[in-house]
Amino acid sequence: MSVKALLSDDNKQLTIKVDGRFDFSLHTDFRGAYKDLNLANGEFIVDLSATEFVDSSALGMMLLLKEFAESGGSSVRIKTPRPEIREILMIASFDKIFKLE
Amino acid sequence: MLSVPQVLLVDDDPTNRVVLKHQIKKLGYTYIEACNGVEAVELFRNHPFDVVLMDILMPEMDGYQATRIIKELSHGFVPVIFLTGLTDDSALARCIESGGDDFLTRPYNHLLLKAKLESMLRIGRLYKQVEFQKNELNWHNARMQQENSVAQKVFANIIESDMESMYPGLKYSMSSMSMFNGDLVLAELNQSNGIDILVSDFTGHGLSAAIGSIPVADTFRTMTRKGFAFTEVLVEINKKLLRILPTNMFMATALISIDRVNQVVSVANMGLPDIYLCRGQKVIHSFSSQNLPLGIAQLSSHSLSFEMQTLMLDDVILAATDGVMEAQNSAGEFYGKQRIVDSIEKSDSQNDLFGNVLNGCVSFIGSSKQNDDITLLSVQHKQDELVPQEHQDTSRHEPAEWSMHFYLDAVNLRRFDILPYILQGIKQLQSIPGTGSELQTILTEMYANALDHGLLKLDSRLKHTPEGYMEFYNERSRRLAELQEGNIQIIISHQLREQGGGRFTLHLYDSGDGFDVKQVRAALETNKTPYGRGLALIEQLSTRVQFLGKGNAVMVVYDWE
Repeated sequence: MSVKALLSDDNKQLTIKVDGRFDFSLHTDFRGAYKDLNLANGEFIVDLSATEFVDSSALGMMLLLKEFAESGGSSVRIKTPRPEIREILMIASFDKIFKLE
Repeated sequence: MLSVPQVLLVDDDPTNRVVLKHQIKKLGYTYIEACNGVEAVELFRNHPFDVVLMDILMPEMDGYQATRIIKELSHGFVPVIFLTGLTDDSALARCIESGGDDFLTRPYNHLLLKAKLESMLRIGRLYKQVEFQKNELNWHNARMQQENSVAQKVFANIIESDMESMYPGLKYSMSSMSMFNGDLVLAELNQSNGIDILVSDFTGHGLSAAIGSIPVADTFRTMTRKGFAFTEVLVEINKKLLRILPTNMFMATALISIDRVNQVVSVANMGLPDIYLCRGQKVIHSFSSQNLPLGIAQLSSHSLSFEMQTLMLDDVILAATDGVMEAQNSAGEFYGKQRIVDSIEKSDSQNDLFGNVLNGCVSFIGSSKQNDDITLLSVQHKQDELVPQEHQDTSRHEPAEWSMHFYLDAVNLRRFDILPYILQGIKQLQSIPGTGSELQTILTEMYANALDHGLLKLDSRLKHTPEGYMEFYNERSRRLAELQEGNIQIIISHQLREQGGGRFTLHLYDSGDGFDVKQVRAALETNKTPYGRGLALIEQLSTRVQFLGKGNAVMVVYDWE
């Protein structure tokens, strides 16, 4: 499991990619990926394409990211989760508060 | 450790001792001398030492023997350095075997002696530091365990209640992965002769997850007992959680409300896995999550989604937290939805459906580690009499005479549900023996009739089909929100009775068109309609029921002793 962050060339988009298990052990890494970034009116993308598992603390981390993003006028998009991960996001109705691809 | 290190100097040769004393003094240490092993052991018993310099060949008791005893006597680490003229490997090996920590061969090199003493003292200090920290940790650990167990008791007192005996057909099992459970099950009898059940799962587990359950339990119990609709209760709980929980914490929850008057179950699922309605060992409906978990965003009773289904005798509603779905076996597989459904379908009867699913999950996990709180709950629809609840006020007020009158116009009716407040008012004025729930049920049904049929002109025949209940409810919400005119008046009076006890007289008027009482009565008697149960219930529970005027006024008498 790992967290990789990639800032786009125009500094408007930060993609955070989480591989493997997305759980509490990634707490510091996930927060560290964006906390020092000043991204006004941009977009955060949580790329879950290689994520195998999310637990409720991962959902909590995404809520923290959302709060952080919105305070700077940015939005959060959740990108390409696998079907089983999508189901968990849907159970939590995250499609209502995130852009979910 | 003493401020100046103290050395125990053991040697039978006075000349050797003189040389060593001189060197120890130069290093600024203090010392006590011993001429043989016996003396050394005796001194060691009575004085604190930081290091021992030990000769090997001595009368009475040699250095090996003395070292073995000293090592047994030591609390903590007191290094022993052997002083020896012997240089063969086997003698040196014996030094270490007998418990010695180092050795120095004669003739002594002054610098080497200094270095060895300092290094041994350093190890001694390190050892003492570790020992001290270990004790401190043990102490903190013991204190924390004690505080935890006290907190656990307080927590249990707040959260737990004997729910299975409260309601026929209710079963649940909770297995927490740490001392405090982040899952929560609460139940309270509701105004519809049924029960409202809250099954919840906080983010994470342990103390931080458990702490949020206290305000939830408090709000749920108080409001449900007072007769608030579950939608209002959820809105209030959400408001509280939104205020107290940090952003990354929330509560996935489901509220199961069983209405035994209308034989219908309502489920609002907010982030829990599917909740199953089972009939004859078949899942006939899944209540899927349609809302955000609580504690994330604002919620109003209008924006809350829930589903209704009609209930038949012995139907089972089964709910689980995600700990059940995500329970892992030794191969790392999840228990998952399909295994739950399989367990349901493989049950011999509705009665052992709960046990089957639970056992299935437990044996699936086997000996692998539980990694989340696991909660499973089922409620089987039965028509047994309810047992009066302890919490309800059993004290009796001396009967008194009073009356109250409410006039509610369309604005009031639209704005909020006044019934819980009226019920609370009655309780304050006149608590009666038993639960008082009969009176509550009567008034609730009378009010529902006046509002739903009198003013909102809803047709109960909508409830003919299972989907109809939901349609009925939605239509009711829509019409109520648009209600512009009309009013309801409620007059409740209480008189003393000569033989003791008292008589409640409840009058309800609505400004609607009324209804044909005879026709409804006839329908009730001739066939088992899925509607009109409210009226039947009022008649059953009360002393007397009389419809007045064109059916838009009703008087109900309820006597108590």
